[in-house]
Amino acid sequence: MKLIYTDSLVVGAGLAGLRVAIASKERGLDTVVLSLIPAKRSHSAAAQGGMQASLGNAVKGMGDDEDVHFQDTVKGSDWGCDQDVARMFAHCAPKAVRELTNWGVPWSRVTKGPRDVIVNAEKVTLHEAEEAHGLINARDFGGTKKWRTCYTADGTGHSLLYAMDNKAISMDIPVHERVEALALIHDGQRCHGVIARCLITGELRAYVAKSTTIATGGYGRIYEVSTNAIICEGIGQALALETGVATLGNMEAVQFHPTAIVPVGILTTEGCRGDGGLLRDKDGYRFMPDYEPEKKELASRDVVSRRMTEHMRKGKGVDSPYGPHLWLDITLLGRKHIETNLREVQEICENFLGIDPAKDWIPVRPTQHYSMGGIRTNATGESPQLKGLFSVGEAACWDMHGFNRLGGNSLAETVVGGMIIGKYVADFCQNNSLEIDTKLAEQFMHKVQAEIDELVEGDGTESAFAIKREMQQIMMDYVGIFRNGPELDKAVAELKVLLTRSGQLGLKCKKRHANPELVEALRVKRMLKVALTVASGAAARTESRGAHAREDYPQRNDRDWLKRTLASWPDANALEPTLSYEDLDVMKMELPPGYRGYGINNAIVHPDTEKREQQIAEILKELGDDADRYQKQWALMPFELPESLRPKNERLSDTLVRPTSTDLGEESTGEQAL
Amino acid sequence: MTVNFSVKKWSGWLDLSQSVSGVMLAVFLWTHLVLVSSILLGADAMSWVARTMELSFLSADGHGYPWVVTLIAIAIAVLASIHVLVALQKLPMSLAQQKALRLQMQTINHGDTRLWRWQAITGVIILLLLPVHLWLIGSAPETIGPYGSADRIWNQGVWLVYLPLLFTVELHAAIGIYRVALKWGAARDLNTRERMKKIKTVVSVIFILIGVASLLAFLPYAN
Amino acid sequence: MTQGRTLTFNIFRYDPQEANDKPKMVQYQIAETPGMTVFIALNKLREEQDTSLQFDFVCRAGICGSCAMVINGFPTLACRTLTAKYPKGEITLMPLPGFELIGDLSVNTGKFMRELAERLQLWLHPKSDDIDVHRLEDPMDPEEAARLYELERCVECGVCVSACATKQMRDTFVGAVGMMKIARFEMDSRDGRTAEDFYHVIGNQDGVFGCMTLLGCQDNCPKDLPHMQQIAYLRRKMAMTLV
Repeated sequence: MKLIYTDSLVVGAGLAGLRVAIASKERGLDTVVLSLIPAKRSHSAAAQGGMQASLGNAVKGMGDDEDVHFQDTVKGSDWGCDQDVARMFAHCAPKAVRELTNWGVPWSRVTKGPRDVIVNAEKVTLHEAEEAHGLINARDFGGTKKWRTCYTADGTGHSLLYAMDNKAISMDIPVHERVEALALIHDGQRCHGVIARCLITGELRAYVAKSTTIATGGYGRIYEVSTNAIICEGIGQALALETGVATLGNMEAVQFHPTAIVPVGILTTEGCRGDGGLLRDKDGYRFMPDYEPEKKELASRDVVSRRMTEHMRKGKGVDSPYGPHLWLDITLLGRKHIETNLREVQEICENFLGIDPAKDWIPVRPTQHYSMGGIRTNATGESPQLKGLFSVGEAACWDMHGFNRLGGNSLAETVVGGMIIGKYVADFCQNNSLEIDTKLAEQFMHKVQAEIDELVEGDGTESAFAIKREMQQIMMDYVGIFRNGPELDKAVAELKVLLTRSGQLGLKCKKRHANPELVEALRVKRMLKVALTVASGAAARTESRGAHAREDYPQRNDRDWLKRTLASWPDANALEPTLSYEDLDVMKMELPPGYRGYGINNAIVHPDTEKREQQIAEILKELGDDADRYQKQWALMPFELPESLRPKNERLSDTLVRPTSTDLGEESTGEQAL
Repeated sequence: MTVNFSVKKWSGWLDLSQSVSGVMLAVFLWTHLVLVSSILLGADAMSWVARTMELSFLSADGHGYPWVVTLIAIAIAVLASIHVLVALQKLPMSLAQQKALRLQMQTINHGDTRLWRWQAITGVIILLLLPVHLWLIGSAPETIGPYGSADRIWNQGVWLVYLPLLFTVELHAAIGIYRVALKWGAARDLNTRERMKKIKTVVSVIFILIGVASLLAFLPYAN
Repeated sequence: MTQGRTLTFNIFRYDPQEANDKPKMVQYQIAETPGMTVFIALNKLREEQDTSLQFDFVCRAGICGSCAMVINGFPTLACRTLTAKYPKGEITLMPLPGFELIGDLSVNTGKFMRELAERLQLWLHPKSDDIDVHRLEDPMDPEEAARLYELERCVECGVCVSACATKQMRDTFVGAVGMMKIARFEMDSRDGRTAEDFYHVIGNQDGVFGCMTLLGCQDNCPKDLPHMQQIAYLRRKMAMTLV
């Protein structure tokens, strides 16, 4: 048995995983990263638009700070997020942006003086401050009160990932490429590492570590059409699920992005609309203002996706062989803007659609995009059930996104979460010793070996490819943007049948080394379990919140459902997960549940909401008018952070004389204030 | 500004000297051909050119110094040797390298790489033919002229050397100048490069035509 | 979009881990569908005809650089190559030359790029290491940031390496990808390295002075990066250190 020992083991070499690895290595810990692919090919690279951080350098970002970012995030989550975590995040986001500058990210910068932008289909001239010249710029994104999304043209994820991986290389952090983790080594209380398979040689290895961090991204590929890379198959979540102990949080919270191209589902960034692009129907009519007069195209993603679906259901979609779609119109931004700031979009349009986005409208449709759910962790990123198991980024349910993630907050989560959780992981490694139980590792190794033997030598006849396709179809048809009880029940029932069938998988290609069919077979069983947690969670949650929209329960129900779904799989032979719930405590919230600002306000109120609002008013009154915003915040909801990340963030506005409101131009129409 | 001759930087010097020697040789080549083409204007024109090359205007008897041509031939030989020595290290010298090159060119379809291969092939041919030319001229500079040259080319059969030399050298030089220009950044964009590529072909063709015409123009003087 | 055609794929097959296997070309037929890309076709072939077929795709959107292969003589990204591009309906697929072959169309570009990055130190060497992330960032010329991003767009797909005859002949040659990245850091005002420092890395036969300007890199780069100009820029810069 091949055993590899390390202090800090990270599974997944995207932004989040690499950031944790760097944090571990910075403390002198031995660190190993496992990855299915070369690190720079990770799906983080696909994030185009940018990451949110309240730097407030650009004129449209003036007045921004952690408080505004926090509020946007909480509202965006439809109050489903963990507010402590949202606070930790908003506080550290500017730090992460500045840190990345020093690691090489060429953030787009502010140019002083006037510049023309498109806001609400009209040309507006903004005047950037002399003092802001050369500082990091920001663009507008959906669901935010300020222009807060820092970017490098439309290749932000790419730039970040390259800078991050370069940093990791400079620190000599080994990335074991083309290695797939297949099981966690654990004793029910503590996680000791993983069993992984080399995708080239087929060799099984036990990686034994003090801490194991899962940063494998989302589970978008359980859907047939997704903007996600084809490796985003939820295997990280499945690893945790298969321990039978660790829990997954809010798996039913799946985001659909409004503008993926039809039919292949490749993303065009939210920056298209942020920079002024419009949505049009088959008559060329701009329909979003009818539904969302305030935010229009820049309402939160879940809202825009639902409105688009509604509009298509009214027969206003453009017919195509692949079903109806709508148009994304960025022609009004002008060729120069598209060729500099939306280059990737342009390339995608040319290569996959054969159109010129400076001239033609882009066919788009809401498409599965992001997994808010994931491995449930506490604020330090550690699984509450399995000591030593950490998770970060999209793989995790650290829970800053709740039931809907804001554009620009996912890229931010990877590097900010990685920065914070990386420190906790390093703390854990320094405070704990390596426990080597070779017998335990061997036991898990044998289990995986037996699974492979059964696939290669067994007499099963089911095709992994066929089962995967069926699963993806079920998820598309019954667990989509709009959901209802009967369809969700059907999804659960059919997925269970598939899970049973997946016990009878057989391979045509019997190789034990590089064998794509074997890889598929090993994954599909795990993916089915993940899909079942999504469908079961959705079926059980009889309310609508954020991206989880039930046609049969259209109201947000804070009274009964202000809680997080937890899914576990204690019985390996069971056909569905065990669901439990974790209440969100209104009495501890800095921002008690309120109206999010879209459609009619029909939420069923939580009994504590009013109490907490009064309490907040009293606390603030007691503090008096002299208290600054930091003191107020601290009095309402103190939050934890590693010491080195505590200092306040300096901003241009600290020293710059505030421009008058006329200089500011039109106030950005944000999510409505409470 | 001091010239930094450190040994560590030899490869920079090598590359630079390849470019510089190449450009000098090409410039000489084209000038040379223009001069030789004076035969197209008649025997007198060529005789005058030949005399002037021998610096006849400096000598009292007006016959000039034929050894000047020998000196030029030696200088070109030296320049060409430098060029060859530096260029050799870029060529696939081992069997393994040749195999890798062949495999790559079989798999991947790329015009400029094929151009370079032509340059390499013509370079090797020039390496064989040029010494003959230089020796013939350098050892008997006084024979250069409409009748002497015609006799050499057509009666002594030296056209068998000159014709292939003409073709190879004109291809080699034009491609070389095109590449040197790209190498040091003369083309700011791809359109300029396309234009330069066309000009390069035109230059090759024109000089080959001039050369062939000149060779033929010697024919009447050969008898 | 062409419909109803039958495409013929000639695919290089070889499993270096199978003792008795020899490199060969295998022919497959597949019905073309509207908007079909080589990515779609290969996956269909694997699912329906030969489950052992090896190839690499990740983002399938032309962003990650995983899927470079030689398609009818041109190295490019397979995910964004539409089959409709080939009027004869014959498509020959070869793995990128110059990389370690994992099997069939899959090559180990990741290992190559990591080794290159380590060898050439392809990361930002900040002028000062003690930056304070809590303070306002240092300003940077907006034009410079835009120029840097242009060079940052490289996806390390390996096309330039395979399209470079120089690289194929000389294993130690850093290739366009290495030089482009050096050019990117050389231009970065935050990087503390001097022209002399870069000379030590690429001012030699394995670097700019070994490049023969064949421009296979420039002509095949799926991201249209300005290799020709950048390598020329570096060469001038390095030559300037001679005087």
